[in-house]
Amino acid sequence: MTNIIFGLAIAAFYLTSCNNSNSEVAENKNAINDTVQVKSQVDTSITSATIVADAKSTVTIKEIISTYLQIKNAFAKDNSNDAATAGKSLQAAFRNFDTKTLPAQQAKTFTDIADDAKEHAEHIGVNGGKMAHQREHFIMLSKDMADLIKNFGNGGQTLYKDFCPMANDGKGATWISETKDIKNPYLGKAMPTCGSVKETIQ
Amino acid sequence: MFIGIVFIAIQFIQPAHNKSGQVLPTDFAKVYTVAINVQTILQNACYDCHSNNTNYPWYSNIQPMAWLMARHINNGKQKLNFSEFANCSSRKQISKLKEIANQIKDNEMPLSSYKMMHTKATLTKEEKVLIMDWMNKTADSLSANN
Repeated sequence: MTNIIFGLAIAAFYLTSCNNSNSEVAENKNAINDTVQVKSQVDTSITSATIVADAKSTVTIKEIISTYLQIKNAFAKDNSNDAATAGKSLQAAFRNFDTKTLPAQQAKTFTDIADDAKEHAEHIGVNGGKMAHQREHFIMLSKDMADLIKNFGNGGQTLYKDFCPMANDGKGATWISETKDIKNPYLGKAMPTCGSVKETIQ
Repeated sequence: MFIGIVFIAIQFIQPAHNKSGQVLPTDFAKVYTVAINVQTILQNACYDCHSNNTNYPWYSNIQPMAWLMARHINNGKQKLNFSEFANCSSRKQISKLKEIANQIKDNEMPLSSYKMMHTKATLTKEEKVLIMDWMNKTADSLSANN
């Protein structure tokens, strides 16, 4: 009798441990997949690093502004994916801008703004489909862009600093536009003309 | 059988623990006057993945849990590290404060998988409001100074 109970206990132990092992296999597979993913990420970063080297010094403030405006126009049309694509371009533009072309003090100012702005651009870039989250970052990105323009000029294009009191949960938010007409990037098609021009940057 | 051996074998490969055991001068609580109730929530709900000191649960020593956890902590610290908060420029600090408020508001953080294992990380509505208000208020006062 004791033997039978003992035997059953062993069998039960074996069965459960087998089950466990199977789920471990699944987990391990995931882990392996993750490793592969990490590797491919490394590969892309190497390629983009090469591109960085080539593209440096070709990016201008004007290009940074126009890429920002692409994001703005995508949001005005409620187009989350276009905003994401432009977000990725803006992140690259900030990364590829060569601060060596600027005097030391200005380079410092640029880096301060760019370090923050490129993170917001990245968040907009990787969150296609999550427009509310993208727009949260666009509020902060717009603040950085306003500072950038204040310090480095408008890139030879008349720009407008707009403000919508309803955006940002009623706390209000600004954005930069190339058109005098209001096209609200925070409320999109729901309230396309909400807001007003606060400043003309010539 | 082979899988069993692999399972046992991987138990011996443990990632390094995220436990510096010290509070750096750059710590969030050192550079800001954080109300005690706010700090307690941050400690309970955020610091495990967003600081240099993780409070490890028992199952963190079982592989492959330990690897998954190490990865989460790595990613978490890259985005936001309360232990080294003051290393960020004030522009970035303002952004991070607002992002914390946004992530809480959108129910993105703390992660639901984390909340499942850490009941203290499930924030009540009042606790959420407390954190969001504090973060936004601090961000606004910093913006006004800059």
